[in-house]
Amino acid sequence: MTHTPLEVRAVADPTIDPLTPGGVALLAFVDAVLSGGDVASTAAAVRAELGAAGLVDAAAVIGNFQMMNRVADGTGIPVGRGSRIRNAALIDQLGLDRFDHTDEENTHP
Amino acid sequence: MTGQVSIRPDLIDNLERTWANLARPGARWTGAERLTIADEARRARKQRPPGATLPAAAIDAARLLAARPAAARRGWLEDLVAGGLDYERFVELVGVVSRLVAMDTFRHALGLPPEPLPEPVPGEPSGKVASQARRDRAWVPMVGAAGVTQALSLVPSENTELERFHGPMYLTFDQMSDPAFARGLTRPQMELVAARTSVVNECFY
Repeated sequence: MTHTPLEVRAVADPTIDPLTPGGVALLAFVDAVLSGGDVASTAAAVRAELGAAGLVDAAAVIGNFQMMNRVADGTGIPVGRGSRIRNAALIDQLGLDRFDHTDEENTHP
Repeated sequence: MTGQVSIRPDLIDNLERTWANLARPGARWTGAERLTIADEARRARKQRPPGATLPAAAIDAARLLAARPAAARRGWLEDLVAGGLDYERFVELVGVVSRLVAMDTFRHALGLPPEPLPEPVPGEPSGKVASQARRDRAWVPMVGAAGVTQALSLVPSENTELERFHGPMYLTFDQMSDPAFARGLTRPQMELVAARTSVVNECFY
């Protein structure tokens, strides 16, 4: 296991320091890319802290999860009971239940 | 400034191969139809009106998955199927839209303009689908236990493309079990980016 610290609450609340190196810059970059923010300046901050390779990897990971989120949302992958039990504290801490739509039936998104 | 960034060769190869794949006939859509789906996805993300050259259910599916994926619901999909979009075409459409959005996002993040859509490769769809796939706990039929690695398994070529694309962009499915894996980012940094992306997209995963 790695022992790099990571404050997971920062995932749901970017005002919290994620503690991992470059974490604040990475969160700002994700938000800018996905929410119409200042991509150029946040990318420059990531590059300054983590280098060009770090910036490219961050862009690639965002792209990959743009794909995976759509695959999961479109196909209705169920969240397994075992996964829910194992990650119950994390799910509760981050308030992730609000994103689980797999059992909802409504037809008018 | 980000235009000067050097991109890993394996990542460039992955993007070029995936881009070319969008233009080829799939299992249930022709190359031209797949590119029309991709164009519809782009129109939705730019809040432009539909091009209206696809069946209405396919336009609805492409637009919602491209621009508002968290709004997808089981009943919505069942309405699409009742409207004539069968599960096989829907699953292939999910693959096309999701990879198109991924590649457009990557370029946007690096300050690069969108890649023009390629010319379609002529030919008929292969018709190759997994007849053993069953609809169980997920919304669409899958081969084996429902899970994200099997999500597109009803159309094997799409599941293969997903897995190929996933490795250079993030991690291969095998590398995902290695918490010490690092490239330009450490694994915790990668997970931070991945998780924040999912939160912004309001996706449980």
